Amino acid sequence: MTVLASVSLATFLVTGLAATQFRSQPLPPSNRLARDEALRHSVNQLEDQNRALKTKVQTLQAGVKAGEDESASRSSAAQQVKTQLDDEKTVAGLTAVHGPGVTVLLHDGSDPNDPNDRSLGWTVHYQDMQDIVNLLWASGAEGIAVNGQRIVPTTAFHYAGVNILVNNGSRLSAPYTVTAVGDPLALANGLGDPDQLAELKSRSRIYGLGLSWVRSTRLSIPAFDATFLVKYAQPLG
Amino acid sequence: MRNHSADRTARTQRLIVVGLIGLALGFLVVIQFRSQAAVARTLAAQDDTSVALLINDLNRANNQLLQQSVALSQQEAQLRQALTAGGADSQAIEKELATLRVVNGEIPVHGPGLQIKIQGSIMDFELQDALNSLRNAGAEAFSLNGYRIVSNTPIISRGQSLQIGGRSVSAPLLLDVIGDPEQLQPAADLSASSLQTRVQVDIERKTDIAITEVITPHPMIYGQLGR
Repeated sequence: MTVLASVSLATFLVTGLAATQFRSQPLPPSNRLARDEALRHSVNQLEDQNRALKTKVQTLQAGVKAGEDESASRSSAAQQVKTQLDDEKTVAGLTAVHGPGVTVLLHDGSDPNDPNDRSLGWTVHYQDMQDIVNLLWASGAEGIAVNGQRIVPTTAFHYAGVNILVNNGSRLSAPYTVTAVGDPLALANGLGDPDQLAELKSRSRIYGLGLSWVRSTRLSIPAFDATFLVKYAQPLG
Repeated sequence: MRNHSADRTARTQRLIVVGLIGLALGFLVVIQFRSQAAVARTLAAQDDTSVALLINDLNRANNQLLQQSVALSQQEAQLRQALTAGGADSQAIEKELATLRVVNGEIPVHGPGLQIKIQGSIMDFELQDALNSLRNAGAEAFSLNGYRIVSNTPIISRGQSLQIGGRSVSAPLLLDVIGDPEQLQPAADLSASSLQTRVQVDIERKTDIAITEVITPHPMIYGQLGR
């Protein structure tokens, strides 16, 4: 009796699971899962490498800085150059800064599921981020970070599907937080100017795409997490 | 005696049945979990083309980071060598200083690149799109009609002209870009293709372009160093 009960229960469970298993198989081509899996596995591997390389670069940067500090303590010539170097590092975004400013919050809106609307206007695109950052610079920002990534002279915003890629392969996802240090009033006025970000503001109304900002008395912006390499542009003369 | 033996046989049979069922269940549960996770990813994540582009970008970024770590290792070794010998190598610091001055647009530079002529008016976002694409392709220095541009240079449309850092420029526009021409060309072509419906764009590769204009950085008024 016990064996019979066990077998009945097991058969029930196995059949149930097999049915669920069958239902969860995707309907499109059978190799789609394998392809997706392989591609995403590659992304995970490359992002692991990316994080490890960034950690290595930061460790080396700390070693270089220690060497520079020690050199400056030993030689007045090195001290003089180091003072100038520290100024340039600040300009380039290699130093963390804090101060008053604004925080801009951005998130995707609702998909209208309208076959006639293929604009993807409900999502935040890399160009939106580019426009916001440019407007903040134009409004007097002294330092900007997006989702904790410092905007530096080499920063480019790049399309990565539903993500935005910046600074040596850092993949950013919505919701986005743009932090800008500067005069809070001037930055907020720039963002509030109806002639600026007109298209983004219109999409915000149509699709419920989130666009808001708050002024702050103290914000913190991290330093750039890598360094700069110049290969082609050589000093003139 | 016979009863005891029969009980043992029945118990063994039950164990085998339960064991086999356990194996089958475990197998199915594992497959179930894996396939559900994969389906979730298929549904939630991006299309294959976007992922393929991302892989390409990550490969390029990792290569960049690898080159950065090699350069930093050399710099650290140079500094340590002088310190071990009892001195200090200010040249190693000067080298980094020169690199940052180039990056910040504070010294005149020259090198290979592209000269892009735009024979008409364009909007601020169109110029920003082009600069963004070129920066993504490794552009190291820009100048537009004689004005140096870095990433924080404000670019604003004012009627038919553009304000570059508060100074007005009008068509024709001449954009000088220093970087690897092989890498820059596809980015420039892409930008040109979107502009060419309205304005004529000519792209010329140059073995040496000089950008003599510089930027004087503004001191921070609101920002203070440190977190």
